[in-house]
Amino acid sequence: MLSINNLKASIEGKAILNGINLDIKPGEVHAIMGPNGAGKSTLSSVLAGRSDYEVNDGSALFMGKDLLALSPEDRAREGLFLAFQYPVEIPGVSSTNFLKTAINEKRKYLGLDPMEATDFLKFMKLKMEEMEMDKSLTSRSLNEGFSGGEKKRNEVFQMAMLEPKLCIMDETDSGLDIDALRLVSAGVNKLRTPERSFLVITHYQRLLDYIVPDFVHVLYKGRIVKSGDASLAKELEVKGYDWIKQEVESAK
Amino acid sequence: MNLLDQIKSDFSAYAAQAEKDSFFETRNNAFLELEKCGLPTLKNEEWKYTSIRKISEGNFTQSCVSELDAKSLLEAGILNTIACNKLVFVNGCLFPELSVFLEEDADIVISSIANARKGNAAIITQHFGKYAAVEGQGMVAMNTALMSDGAFVYVPKGKKMKYPLMLTNITDATQHGIFQQPRNLIVIEESAHGSIIENYIAIGEHASFTNVVNEIFVDNNASLEHYKVQRAKGETYHNNFTQVFQNGNTNINQVTLSLDGQWIRNNLHFYMNGQNCNSLLYGLYITDGSQFVDNHSRVDHAMPNGYSDEKYKGILRDNSTAVFNGKIMVHVDAQKTNAYQRNMNILLSNDATVNTKPQLEIFADDVKCTHGATIGQLDEEPMFYLRSRGISELEARKLLLNAYAADIAEKIKIPELVQILEEEIERKL
Repeated sequence: MLSINNLKASIEGKAILNGINLDIKPGEVHAIMGPNGAGKSTLSSVLAGRSDYEVNDGSALFMGKDLLALSPEDRAREGLFLAFQYPVEIPGVSSTNFLKTAINEKRKYLGLDPMEATDFLKFMKLKMEEMEMDKSLTSRSLNEGFSGGEKKRNEVFQMAMLEPKLCIMDETDSGLDIDALRLVSAGVNKLRTPERSFLVITHYQRLLDYIVPDFVHVLYKGRIVKSGDASLAKELEVKGYDWIKQEVESAK
Repeated sequence: MNLLDQIKSDFSAYAAQAEKDSFFETRNNAFLELEKCGLPTLKNEEWKYTSIRKISEGNFTQSCVSELDAKSLLEAGILNTIACNKLVFVNGCLFPELSVFLEEDADIVISSIANARKGNAAIITQHFGKYAAVEGQGMVAMNTALMSDGAFVYVPKGKKMKYPLMLTNITDATQHGIFQQPRNLIVIEESAHGSIIENYIAIGEHASFTNVVNEIFVDNNASLEHYKVQRAKGETYHNNFTQVFQNGNTNINQVTLSLDGQWIRNNLHFYMNGQNCNSLLYGLYITDGSQFVDNHSRVDHAMPNGYSDEKYKGILRDNSTAVFNGKIMVHVDAQKTNAYQRNMNILLSNDATVNTKPQLEIFADDVKCTHGATIGQLDEEPMFYLRSRGISELEARKLLLNAYAADIAEKIKIPELVQILEEEIERKL
């Protein structure tokens, strides 16, 4: 589904990603962990198409297409979804109108007719029940005045509405208390299917207690320096990142 | 002939046969003031960014003559979806066939000033020329000296207008350049309620200059909704001076929408002459091409416990220009004043210009006042957020600009007018 090969990226001339290799197949959940400054959020930004970053080398194929050549909106329409670490508050744009526009823009891209207003509302109602979303959230302006937990749940709700193929979750656990973390994770788990893949970026292991990954990768200084299964995350929780840093430095 | 010479010659013609005009003294004083102070120039601080060169060159004609019939006037853009009283003026003169009076209460007067002078002379004389001061105000003096006709709205004590008045001014410049000076007088007595929509449209290829003066008197415990919709397309020059004089416990909601027009200058002045006045001033301007829009406002908090909230928002494209100058004057007696003022601008092109100057002058010591201005572009973060959900750059920009403008649209209390505004925003963006 996603195949990243020797990806190098920088911001304002400063190299952040120094050759990422990663292969994600349908239905797989990959976790990217790593210390602060390792390049975790840069990776999600580059994949989603944020223009502040410059890709210097390498490639990323998404469903066989050159992901890095697509605009952010086309990446989304192809089925990529980025759950933001800090979802943006947009006063004056209603959540409903926003979602309707997003769904219909995607349908247009795929050559489908726009969804009728009544069908859309039915679909939204269904998804809201499924995701146990409070009705009031969708009548308000997009993320405006939402608590940290509400914002993250709203990201997952958007994910449910837009039905992406690959979900990138950028530090979704940051700023969540344990109850909110449970709710958000439960939402994500509902969206797991044999076809849909996840790339979960996190600093802490605790999120991975709820969203159990198939693979765990450690990112350090812009490279994946270690990969393993879910047990690697447990090991990091106990031992911290220092031993990995030492391994990397001594291998030089 | 330049404009000032034309005014002088027109005034002497008027003065020669004006003995019976009860307005003569007011008009003559205004004319003398105009001769003294002249028309504003860039050297005048209040006109620093606003050139009236094209206007002072003149070459306009004052003439009611229009070959348009009622049907084509209706099609020209009278806001027909709103159930309302109507007065239509073409080139400054009443077009009686299109007048509509829906009020059940016959004590409420909605008329042209010319007609009202016959039956309501006392009220008109009591208020006419009493609020829009001519001193140092060449444009107001020019209007007062040689006004065309205009609307007279009189809502007597305790009465409430059930429908808004749509006051439509049509410039028909299909034959030649047009000069008109509409003059409206609105009197809302104690505990009464009024609602007015000023609607400006234009047709024709020639240039026009419209110099409006509104005098609005709102007595104790009364309220007023006042909207201005400026959509006079083409080479139109529009100067609008509105003086609101409010007594105690009054509520006034004023929204100015500047959409079309080559050159617009709005002067909106509030004078709070009693305690507990509540004045809301909101505006939205969306400009493109080489449009010029200038909003000058002044709120005089002369008495205690007043509240004013002012917010003007602009969206500028191409090489259009906007000016904002808001002055809040808190007089020495106006303790416990709350006054807020903001001007926000989004520039969508490198060639658009904004000159903004929020001003506070405070002479009382127990007040709460804030003011501020911003000029910027659309924020990157919301843009990226929307695009990351599959929304195109164009649609994302529309959503964000509509949201930005909706903040002003929601200040309008007439749902049909909000809808019209939404369509206009869609058109302009």
